[in-house]
Amino acid sequence: MKTSRKNTLWGYLFASPWIVGFLIFGLYPIFASFYYSLCQYDVLRIPQFVGLRNYRELLFQDHYFYSAVWNTLFYTFIRSPLVIIGSLALALIVSRAARGVKFFRTIYFIPSIISGVILSVLWLWLLNPQYGLINSALQFFGLQGPLWLIDPSWSKPAIILMNIWSLGGGRMLVFLAAIQNVPTHYYEAVEMDGGGWWAKFTNVTLPFISPVLFLWFILEVIFSLQVFVEAYVMTKGGPLNSTLFYNLYLYNKAFDDFDMGYASALAWLLFILAGVITFVQFRLSKRWVYYSGGAEK
Amino acid sequence: MRSKTLKILFWLVSGAILAALWGPAQKGDAQQQVHYWFVAGVKDNIPPCVTWFNESQDSIQVVATPIPWNEHEKKVLTAILSGNPPDVVNLVTPVPKWAARKALVALDSIIVADKLDTANFFPALWQEMKYRDDTYALPAYTGAFALFYNKRLMRRAGLDPAQPPGTWEEVKDYARKMTRRENGKLTEMGFIPQYGNIETPLIIAFEQGVRFVDASGSRVDLLDPALIHSLQWEHDFFDIYKVDEVTAFMGGFGYGNQHGFIAEKVALFINDNSFIDQIQKYNPGLDYGVAMIPSLEERPSVSAAGSWWLAIPRGSRHKRGAWEFMKFVVSHPVQLREAMSREETLFPVNRLAAHDPAFLAMHPYMAVFSDQMEQTRSKSITPLVHDIFWREFSLARERSLRGVLPPQQALLAAEKTIQFSLDRALEYDHYVNARMRTEEFFD
Repeated sequence: MKTSRKNTLWGYLFASPWIVGFLIFGLYPIFASFYYSLCQYDVLRIPQFVGLRNYRELLFQDHYFYSAVWNTLFYTFIRSPLVIIGSLALALIVSRAARGVKFFRTIYFIPSIISGVILSVLWLWLLNPQYGLINSALQFFGLQGPLWLIDPSWSKPAIILMNIWSLGGGRMLVFLAAIQNVPTHYYEAVEMDGGGWWAKFTNVTLPFISPVLFLWFILEVIFSLQVFVEAYVMTKGGPLNSTLFYNLYLYNKAFDDFDMGYASALAWLLFILAGVITFVQFRLSKRWVYYSGGAEK
Repeated sequence: MRSKTLKILFWLVSGAILAALWGPAQKGDAQQQVHYWFVAGVKDNIPPCVTWFNESQDSIQVVATPIPWNEHEKKVLTAILSGNPPDVVNLVTPVPKWAARKALVALDSIIVADKLDTANFFPALWQEMKYRDDTYALPAYTGAFALFYNKRLMRRAGLDPAQPPGTWEEVKDYARKMTRRENGKLTEMGFIPQYGNIETPLIIAFEQGVRFVDASGSRVDLLDPALIHSLQWEHDFFDIYKVDEVTAFMGGFGYGNQHGFIAEKVALFINDNSFIDQIQKYNPGLDYGVAMIPSLEERPSVSAAGSWWLAIPRGSRHKRGAWEFMKFVVSHPVQLREAMSREETLFPVNRLAAHDPAFLAMHPYMAVFSDQMEQTRSKSITPLVHDIFWREFSLARERSLRGVLPPQQALLAAEKTIQFSLDRALEYDHYVNARMRTEEFFD
């Protein structure tokens, strides 16, 4: 008993760098940001407690708040399903490839290791309406390409299009692993019933990998809500605030305007928004997620 | 046995951490070390003025640290907050934005004590160093703007290159004559109001004496008819071009030999004096001239300016050493020497240096820049909400240009947003001022 307690203490001691790090750089900022969300605070001067005023002004007086929410939700709900369906399709193709699986797996993984800033600068050129490769390719087929990032109605779709680049990556590898873990005798059963590839996919593959898909849907939505780099590098929120995403607005408030109290309130509202969407996803998951070992509690 | 090994390991690790935290032994204080942070460009070269200062005396050693342009504000901010700031900073964002937040040491007492002749600075630049009548910084160097015009493109359009446009109406007229299309696509433009570092409608507004805020600085006024007229001029400029096609055309421009003016795709362009060096580097054969910035009929030619400045952050440990270095940098001989020795010409903030025959002899057009500098206006309008002001002004321009809102409505929308933010900031400012004081030089 004595040795066990000693070992526990030593365990905590060796884990202490992480614990201290978490307390200082994780837990404290979380609580501090909540406190500052109730203050006027510009970092360099003392905070002024203003109660719920920041939240009230955000929700009832700040029209940019709703622009930012709309832009972010548009991006989230178009991009997330697209990248998941695309990655799943890639994983299915790679899983069926007779040879060269490792090669394709590597090829599709490469884009995900490129930094978002580099990717954004690259796409800035690809999407250039006058000299960009994309519009040149469209012109080759006799099509007049849009103005992409310059046109307020095309700027968000352009950024979503850019994300197709990263369809592969970790997402595809996880799907691939999930697909390869589906017991083969289920496919044989479908074959005996005369089912084709579609029947196998909808009746076997999809239900078996649905927990993985569900997890990625949740992660993708959270990642998408945090969209920042593309807009920061490529558009600065323009044209006409059409790419003013939530985190870009938060960044402007915090680090351009030094309005940390307001920015903290924005951060907490984003947390609540992400929480609500995740809650809804969990509720809906009961209708389509299948756990082979029984229902997930 | 195992427990003993763990104990030894624990004390070794703890000892190493403590040793690392303790840091190297401090040097003796015989020579005062002044830490100077400057924003570096592509190169991290130590500014020559630092070397000259260190060579000029033995009691103060300036240690220069380059900080990257991107995120430089945040670095200085966190250094001040942590209580371990540099002794001198060299920044470009408006002084009042920092001074209003009590981040800088007020310098008036030392300026008086040392009898620094502030009349040697260009008036607009000196005005920018102040916040509510107190001085917080010294201008270090600037960029003087003027109109660059392409003589070859003017000749080709049947215009006399000895007569660059003097009024905004002439700019519009010349621009149309010099604009070219191929297969319906723009290939060259005479002038693009939104291309460059200086906002055309802002200059037009400055010419007409627009103040943007009332005398107290607490009430935003963007509905001044002169300002509306400025935006209207820009809107009307596009009556024969589509905004989107011009924006797409500009999307093909870059830096160096891809620059619109250097690549001879834009014939008239307003830029600062350092652009001369870029032309020399990337297209030395370019046939161009430099003239005063155009103005409205019967109005003076004005420019907008900002400067790089030197200041002592709150909490600095070596204010006297920092001040000696600052004085050295802004002096006439050092300003002149630095302007003439850098790869890209820095424009002196010291008028004696800017009008010095040696400086003017650097380039045939340098006198134009020096004259234009005497007629500059400050862009620091609402220091407490500086970035919001310019974001909103840009948005109003964009709305007006794209025809989303007429200029008056666009400006009204901007005014409301800025006022809302300014009211918040003023209330906070009032709260803080009752509880927190600004650091003085002799504190």
